[in-house]
Amino acid sequence: MSVSNLLENWSQFRHYHPVDDKPHDPYKWAMSIDLDACVGCNACSVACYAENNLPVVGKEKYAHGMSMHWMRIEHYWDEDVGEEGGREFPDQGAQFLPMMCQQCEAAPCETVCPVGATNHTADGLNSQIYNRCVGSRYCEANCPYKVRYFNWYDYPTTDNVWPAEMTQQLNPDVTVRGKGVMEKCTFCVQRLSAAKVTAKSEGRIVHDGEVQTACQQVCPVGAISFGNLIDPQSRVHKQWRAQQVELDKDRQAKDEKEGGTNLRGYRILENMRPYPSVMYLERVRESAI
Amino acid sequence: MKDIREDIAWAKINQDVLKSLENPRKLYWVILFVAIAMVGVAVGCEIYQYSTGMGVSNKNNSHVWGLYIATFIFWIGMSHSGTLLSAILHLMHADWRKPIYRFAEAMTTFSLMTAGLFVAVHLGRVWQIYYALPYPNERGLWPNFQSPLLWDAMAIFTYLSSSIVFLYVGMIPDLAICRDRMHEGWRKKLYTLLSLGWEGTDRQWRNFRVTYLTIACFLIPLAVSVHSIVASDFAMSQQPGWHITSFPPYFVAGALYSGCAAIITLFIILRYVFRFEEYMTMGILKKIVRLTFAISMVWTYLNAVEFASVWYSHDQASKDVLIQKAIGTYAPFWWGMMFCGSVVPLTLAFKRFQTNIPVLFAVSLLLNLGMWLERWMIVAPTFAHGIYPWAWDHDQWPSFVQWGMVFGSFGWFTLLFMVFCKVFPSVSMYEVKEMVYHRRQETKKLEATGKFATAGKGAH
Amino acid sequence: MMDSGFDRRDFLKVMGWSGAAVALSGCGNTSIEDGKETVVSYVEAADYVIPGIGVYYNSSCAQCDAGCSINGRVREGRVLKLEGNPASAINRGKMCGLGQAGVQHHYNPDRLREPLLRNGDKGETITWEKAYALIAEKLKGVSGEEIAFLSGGVSGHLKVLLGNYLASFGCKNHFVYEALAPGVVRAANKKAYGAEMPRYNINKAKVVLSFGADFIGAWVSPVHFSQQYAQFRKGVDGQRGVLIQVEPKMTLTGANADRWIPVRPGTEGILALGIINALGTATGDIAAAVKGYDKARVSKETGVPPGQIDKIAAILKLRSPSLVLAGGAAEGYAHGSQNAAAINLLNHVLGNVGKTVEAAAAVPFPQMVPAKGNTAALKSLNDGLAAGKYKVLFNYAANPVFTAPGALKFKDNLSKAGFKVAFAHYLDETALQADLVLPLNSALEDWGTQVPEYMAEGAQINILQPLMENLHPNTRGMGDILLALLKQRRPEEYKNYEDYYAYLRAAMLQNKVALGGNGKDDDSFWNETLTKGIIKLAGTTTALSGKAGVAGLKLPAPTENDEQYPLQLIPSVNISLRDGRHSNQPWLQESPDPLTTIVWDSWVEIHPKKAAELGIVEGDIVEVTSRTGSIKTQAYLFPGIHPDAISIPLGQGHEALGRYAKGYGVNPFQILDAVFDRETGELAMYETRVKVNKTGQRVIVVKDESAAGAKQIREKIAGRVSSDNVDLSKEV
Repeated sequence: MSVSNLLENWSQFRHYHPVDDKPHDPYKWAMSIDLDACVGCNACSVACYAENNLPVVGKEKYAHGMSMHWMRIEHYWDEDVGEEGGREFPDQGAQFLPMMCQQCEAAPCETVCPVGATNHTADGLNSQIYNRCVGSRYCEANCPYKVRYFNWYDYPTTDNVWPAEMTQQLNPDVTVRGKGVMEKCTFCVQRLSAAKVTAKSEGRIVHDGEVQTACQQVCPVGAISFGNLIDPQSRVHKQWRAQQVELDKDRQAKDEKEGGTNLRGYRILENMRPYPSVMYLERVRESAI
Repeated sequence: MKDIREDIAWAKINQDVLKSLENPRKLYWVILFVAIAMVGVAVGCEIYQYSTGMGVSNKNNSHVWGLYIATFIFWIGMSHSGTLLSAILHLMHADWRKPIYRFAEAMTTFSLMTAGLFVAVHLGRVWQIYYALPYPNERGLWPNFQSPLLWDAMAIFTYLSSSIVFLYVGMIPDLAICRDRMHEGWRKKLYTLLSLGWEGTDRQWRNFRVTYLTIACFLIPLAVSVHSIVASDFAMSQQPGWHITSFPPYFVAGALYSGCAAIITLFIILRYVFRFEEYMTMGILKKIVRLTFAISMVWTYLNAVEFASVWYSHDQASKDVLIQKAIGTYAPFWWGMMFCGSVVPLTLAFKRFQTNIPVLFAVSLLLNLGMWLERWMIVAPTFAHGIYPWAWDHDQWPSFVQWGMVFGSFGWFTLLFMVFCKVFPSVSMYEVKEMVYHRRQETKKLEATGKFATAGKGAH
Repeated sequence: MMDSGFDRRDFLKVMGWSGAAVALSGCGNTSIEDGKETVVSYVEAADYVIPGIGVYYNSSCAQCDAGCSINGRVREGRVLKLEGNPASAINRGKMCGLGQAGVQHHYNPDRLREPLLRNGDKGETITWEKAYALIAEKLKGVSGEEIAFLSGGVSGHLKVLLGNYLASFGCKNHFVYEALAPGVVRAANKKAYGAEMPRYNINKAKVVLSFGADFIGAWVSPVHFSQQYAQFRKGVDGQRGVLIQVEPKMTLTGANADRWIPVRPGTEGILALGIINALGTATGDIAAAVKGYDKARVSKETGVPPGQIDKIAAILKLRSPSLVLAGGAAEGYAHGSQNAAAINLLNHVLGNVGKTVEAAAAVPFPQMVPAKGNTAALKSLNDGLAAGKYKVLFNYAANPVFTAPGALKFKDNLSKAGFKVAFAHYLDETALQADLVLPLNSALEDWGTQVPEYMAEGAQINILQPLMENLHPNTRGMGDILLALLKQRRPEEYKNYEDYYAYLRAAMLQNKVALGGNGKDDDSFWNETLTKGIIKLAGTTTALSGKAGVAGLKLPAPTENDEQYPLQLIPSVNISLRDGRHSNQPWLQESPDPLTTIVWDSWVEIHPKKAAELGIVEGDIVEVTSRTGSIKTQAYLFPGIHPDAISIPLGQGHEALGRYAKGYGVNPFQILDAVFDRETGELAMYETRVKVNKTGQRVIVVKDESAAGAKQIREKIAGRVSSDNVDLSKEV
């Protein structure tokens, strides 16, 4: 209960922007998702359920808006399709967007938790500490993407969530959450920890591709790219660099250029300045047809 | 209209007030029982929610906050009445507050206690509520001082403890009167204990005055800051409809508004039940009514400021939320709030209603209904129609569990207040004596200078 | 620990997995918290197991018949999660959501655990010995013609054993039935290319024109095609591939197309011929055949604007090679074969044959090549049952009581069979009608070999090996069951095989050289095979031989409007639920349909224009009536469907199967009319016509979409950029 502990941690505490004087080292986990490749098949969402012990809430609770999909596939239609006076048919299908916790560098959720159950880790993740969470739900209220999910009921003891043998499928590396706790995508932190431990015992850092998140691993089209943004050899780093998207800017230099660029990379709700760690690549619309 | 007659004897004041501490009539027990039943409903709801999970309240992943937060803010708001009357008006030497500030302060304390309950029932894991306190632990953990909810916890805790101290300290001379006038029994023992040996010596009075003044000065910024902090639960977030800089003063204005309206309600009740017509006079009622009217206009203005600033901002999301409030699912409640909060108080501008008891009673209840709706309309629409369209939920309504707790909270407040009224003097005897004394001095002065200070205009 | 254990240690002797070595094994569903089981530390662990670190085994996914290879993570003797096996050319380390749910099939609480014998309305538990004895008894004196075996698609050694078993009676009545088989396309392919399922090289095409082939969703081999699609989008020579989807109802593939073209149901073939006409490159017979299909006529009949036809022809001409696919939407009619033939003709005209349509390699063991399921088999079986032909009926991996079109009255006819045996995982609708139900191992605890119908590159045989011990002690693998039954019939031949594992091992070792094990000793070869999970073979490739023929190509005029039944019913195939066999896997029920985001229920997709005409809003419970029957479910307004059609997803509406399936949604199979393709006899799934009536009830549709109606509203959330403004070749 030391004051020096408080002061020391305070000085390392989240800055208003992610600043250069305290950069992440040696890991900053980031992701990029290619919306042109994403086909909306939902495999990533199901894999996440399997890996992270997500409860199936059932029809009634789903109707009440209590679904627990950490990774959800959104789809967006063009504004005028199907409306009065609009186009009768869509030219293209709905656009799919996998949305999960963006692991923001200046996360709006981190500041508002009264008990400090959500924080930023040294390797750039937004952490959620289940046993510290008292369930005030301020974090979800403040999340601009609404990607946090609250345990409205005690799913481990609810009928038909994990009946009999299904408990054996649970991943022992991931806590099974009880009621009253907030949860969200962790970039499969259990896999990251295991990989870091292995790497450390071999005296190196984790190589690119050595650890994959569950969603990345299953994606049939390989739309998800995940890795260490600091490692110049990592695919994610190369993608962010090629798309000229910088982690600690709320307006990218490329967007200021006259006439724009032919780069597809962008981050969602960037102007709200949460500095998300997920970059999306815009879907391409074929002009020839 | 005089605020009080100048020829009331001290003994009569004592007698009238102490009469309120007599054994209660049957109606009292009936109402008390009803209040306990209401609390029972809330307790039942909480037990259900505690054991099953927060989901029974019908909140969901967009609407993570509901009536608990709204009612919490409502009760905090109501608590500003006491501080306004006790502390602010004390500093302004407004004598007319003297007969009524005692029950207003009691109202403050009990409102805060009720509000505190809502913090607890709002949490998904109530049994770990102590994590919000900086208690010694082996992990070296502190709570998160960046979080407005934590500021809430600290501010309300401070405010509650200060209010209790303020209420208690201000009651000491009265408790001494009670002690001296009571026959043997538990009451005498209680008052003897609580009056701390008050003899009414000069020295004690001087210390008392200084202490009271100090706490009053401390309490005023505290009250303003508490509700500003509560407002910053919203203002410090980024939700459209919440992220508004005028929220702290808006909330404080709303709190004062709420508090004044509640004072009017309780004024009318106590005046009737305990026959305090001599003390809770029409003159005072009129003053508090006009104060309420003034605050309602301030509140209306700040509302207009909010709408205007949303309108000329570039924040399309906030504009949409505002429009949604007016025409969306919650529109009836929003318009109800506007009606109760801005239209109904206009009746208070008319002299004929300013002392009309039935009208004032109804109006004061409507004003508070408007204020409660205001809190709900701050919480719900932004979740229904926020920044991220995929997460909209236009169709969420609180379940019976939430309504039960809100309902029960009024029972809890009533219970506390009713017990207070029968154990402690709800009119401050020594302050009323001071008020009568001042009026006597005033009258004498005016008689001496040849101007008759009769009832009518210019009366103190 | 993410390497797939390329630790060559000998961790595959399942026989070595005795119960003692594996604490907390699958058997006995007890919990430590209940105090019924204690945690026993590994004093003597099996030598490849480190408590807390997973061990990985390869096997094959059996959730659909694409034959992806999987890698299972096993901790303390329990399989937890499946990943793709990188060594397989079919899925290359990737999987789909349906495959992920394989663990939920394995651990499903509604799985059968004991053999059940019918006693009135109930099933009584009996022993396996009694069950086998009963089967033998019932088969006594029954001739081969009076026995029928209904199964889903089978391949590999299971097919061999099954064939041998039926041969032992002289029974030729093996009905291979798959409700969603691309039977018409197979037949059309055989005519057009000489192979039923050639290799489609989507990744080599610059344009893919798909007539309702949902190759990303649920057609043939979705994971494989999805990977090819990803490469296709990155582009051949840096030019991004263009996908055009033509269908009356938007499928998942259609949602990803650069241009989705709604076409009048049934007129796909007409459009194909119209495109050939517009191309102007055809000669001889073909040119003559398409002469009458000018733009005006084609546009009128299909509803596709002439400008659109021009654009399609232009891009097909400009960017070559292309690839044209015929899918369920095209083949689901009485003239489906004609449609498919016209569409395949396009590939010939465009010169795609040999480039993007290539010969597929075949496994050099014809007895293992898949017996492909089709729907014509169901009709034959149904006719036989109706005539009371069968005294004994076996049922494996098929649920016809659920999936047969209502017009066939399959359930009634089934009751005319004598003794019915079902080999099943669940008490599904068909098993409920059986007299004897035998519980099967799940794919994750079973041995086997599988040859996929669609071969990606080179030939391969998939290996199934158990990822853990039997979860329930009294279930058996189908291979073991067939072996036991064969031992009844031909004891001498099979007496050396203790169980199916022994049979497989012996059979594979016998062909060691052909399977690529030349020079290795038996044990090494076997262990390596199990380690890899697949056997890759050179295979035999027969060149494509079909002709671009127009003989017999006669497309009927579009159907006249039926006054009584004005709308066409399109039963849609959902990526997860498909024909409904997986509806009891809760992840799949909770996984939103990609196009509508509806969960745990059925729906009727109606175009907003048609809905406005009928006064239907979202959530109205509507009654959909065909000549065969009617079902009621909620309406959902969807712009991606032809206004003269409605669509209801298949796979819901179970009356049995399990707690996550029963009572959810409605079953459109029930109201399908019995219309069949004229050439192949396959069920024409799209030929059912219906009328829609409001019932007056309304519900709130349970879906993931919000009140925003899936629009972005203000800020850009999902971005879209024109291909003119982007240079994909420069990307990482």
